[in-house]
Amino acid sequence: MIGRAYLATFRTIFSDSTALLLLIGSAILYSFFYPSAYWGDVPVRLPIAVVDMDHTASSRTLISKLSALQQAELLAQLPSPNAAFAQMERREISAAIVIPEGFEGRILRGEQGIVALYGNGAYLLSSSTALAGVASAMGNMGISAATDQSMAMGAPAPPALGLIAHPMFNAREGYGSTIIPAVSFLIIQQTLLMGMALLAATMREQQGPLAFNGQGLLGIGLAFFTIGFANVAYYTGFVFWFLDMPRAAGQFYALLVATCVFVGATVAAALALASFFQERERPIQLWIITSLPIFFLAGISWPTEATPSWLSLLARFLPTTPGIHLMVGINQMGASLTEQKSEILNLIGLILLYGSISFLRYRPRTNEKKGHIPSPRKEAGSP
Amino acid sequence: MMPERALGRSFTNAWYRELFFLRSNPLDLALVTWLPLLLLAIVAIQLSPSVMRNLPIAVIDQDGSATARELTRRLDAAPGLHVSDHPTDMQAAQQAIRERSIYAILLIPRDTERSVMRGETGKLIIFYNASYSTPSGAALREATSVIQDYSGRLAVEQSAILRLGTVRAPPIAAQTTILFNPQTSYELQLVALIHPALLHLIFMVAIVSALGRELRDGSIGPWLDGAAPATAAAAIGGKITVYILIFMLWGILATAYLAGLRGWALQGSIALLLLGYMAMYLAYTGVALLLIGLSLSMGRALSLSGLYAGASFAFAGTIFPIESASRFAQIWSAILPYTSFSKLLVEQWLMGAAVRVSIPHIFIMLLFLFVGAAIGLPRYIQAASRPETWGRR
Repeated sequence: MIGRAYLATFRTIFSDSTALLLLIGSAILYSFFYPSAYWGDVPVRLPIAVVDMDHTASSRTLISKLSALQQAELLAQLPSPNAAFAQMERREISAAIVIPEGFEGRILRGEQGIVALYGNGAYLLSSSTALAGVASAMGNMGISAATDQSMAMGAPAPPALGLIAHPMFNAREGYGSTIIPAVSFLIIQQTLLMGMALLAATMREQQGPLAFNGQGLLGIGLAFFTIGFANVAYYTGFVFWFLDMPRAAGQFYALLVATCVFVGATVAAALALASFFQERERPIQLWIITSLPIFFLAGISWPTEATPSWLSLLARFLPTTPGIHLMVGINQMGASLTEQKSEILNLIGLILLYGSISFLRYRPRTNEKKGHIPSPRKEAGSP
Repeated sequence: MMPERALGRSFTNAWYRELFFLRSNPLDLALVTWLPLLLLAIVAIQLSPSVMRNLPIAVIDQDGSATARELTRRLDAAPGLHVSDHPTDMQAAQQAIRERSIYAILLIPRDTERSVMRGETGKLIIFYNASYSTPSGAALREATSVIQDYSGRLAVEQSAILRLGTVRAPPIAAQTTILFNPQTSYELQLVALIHPALLHLIFMVAIVSALGRELRDGSIGPWLDGAAPATAAAAIGGKITVYILIFMLWGILATAYLAGLRGWALQGSIALLLLGYMAMYLAYTGVALLLIGLSLSMGRALSLSGLYAGASFAFAGTIFPIESASRFAQIWSAILPYTSFSKLLVEQWLMGAAVRVSIPHIFIMLLFLFVGAAIGLPRYIQAASRPETWGRR
């Protein structure tokens, strides 16, 4: 029974080209298409310009040091702050450093030479870390830049406290390597959810109400589980390697368990969701319009700590919310299953919740003794 | 010559026909009413805290000195940070970071205070979770500024203790100013961009469905068959105008929410921003006509729409600079009207750029309408008299 439902499900999928494209094709298509937005994802070197209003030996020394900064690329030296701001408006540079008049004088008097660093707040997300890096690097390099200017004053003091920053897990700090893994699991969830809903709605259009008993439901679920598992294996095994994402930090069996609970919860949710659709095109509509909010609710780009708590709680009903944390935690951060137990319990809870809903929604009514097994679509004009 | 009155009648008939359809089909009505409201609201509510406060970090105090305790106190007092954990060793701290209960670990090594008192630099180390770059970046920025600030105070104390004149504050310091978004609000930056991103996706789905539905159900025949091309075009215009007006209202509502309710002042021209919304909807109308005209199938055209527009937000280059991405990505970015709209929005809302800077984006968007309509519209109208193209799923 389970085996028959399993095979019949695959026959149904392979006889519907749109479902096939949604379930398998789009995962492959998106794996090349989406990351291309972030290719060439080197550590974000901020394009900067410098404005020297001091024109002294100290300011020139500082500028020569700037071009050696790891966090920034010095593109231009401009005559006035306004010229720099204009370049920022045109997005030719992301930050500007202005060395004010009297900079050297202050240093020679033994005061602090203040340099102004202007960042573009209109593009906050892509530049915030790099901006912090430039600021602290300038604080540190100041010492050597001014040393020869201040012989008369005695050796300048080193700063009382110095800070060395170490990125963990995603050492290159590419923006893409934080976004692409998260988006990958979103794609896997959305294609499973909507692919299954599309098939169920199509069958309802042709055969009327659907009913499956527990075994039939399990067979269908296992078929979709196979597809979801293959998709996760494709992304974690091939795509992340191909794109050279930080990966495989955790133990293999941990990744295996994580994949099973994530795909399991997604399939259960897909079964439950699919029980509500009557029209073939509706799931495609929902797939397009819901992906962006679901991505933000996952808490990768915007942290849970800064989300209203009731909304974070509701977001945990989406498999991607615990799922992305879990998969990134294990695969990128090398976490153990115990360290991620709250996400795993969350996903198991979703499997039980959506599994029960599906069981109730598809249970055969009294006049139907046995569940239908999905059969291939036979429709004139279908491709 | 077609009398203008006939064209006008064709337009109004189609307009009422579409309104009547929406009134009697709750799911299609939902797609342009409460579903957009729900999706816009979720994003608005999630980002309403606007800045990240009390991000949890851990401090490993190996020094155990008054200086270390004072630094910890200052970090905890900073609005962006919360010292939630005081692990004794690195192993426990790393576990906490993998459990995601903290975003960063500050290590205060032994003898930090002694170094400071000797006039040397006490070297602190901060480890941060780069897999969660947004909160970690914010925590890092805040911690850096707290430490620099405290370092300055310590320097003053140093010179009091040690002989004055031999020790001074570090000669150079950088003062960071954020232009165009002085409150460094993520709400302003993200919500302003996500709302139109959602609206263009829902709009495109609504238009493709409205046009495709007629083909799927074969209702395009009774509706347009036998009509002169100009009359048919006017009818299609009437149908589309319903959606453009509805989504203009959503655009106005989204703008009013951020600028009015949340008080993020619009730096440039609001008229230009709304004109931008209009141009964006017209551009996606062009794309919808193209996809429907080429596929003549509601389901296919919807799938293609998802593929085409689904990732606009990533390719627009407003969050991640597309200039450093691949050539393919740059071309893809250029063929999305949302890219032009988001540039216009950033220029008008955040930067207060001059009108002439943003006008070219409007013309680029209108180009999509003309190209899409030129290819898609004739094919769609022809399909009205070709029943064999109806009913494709």
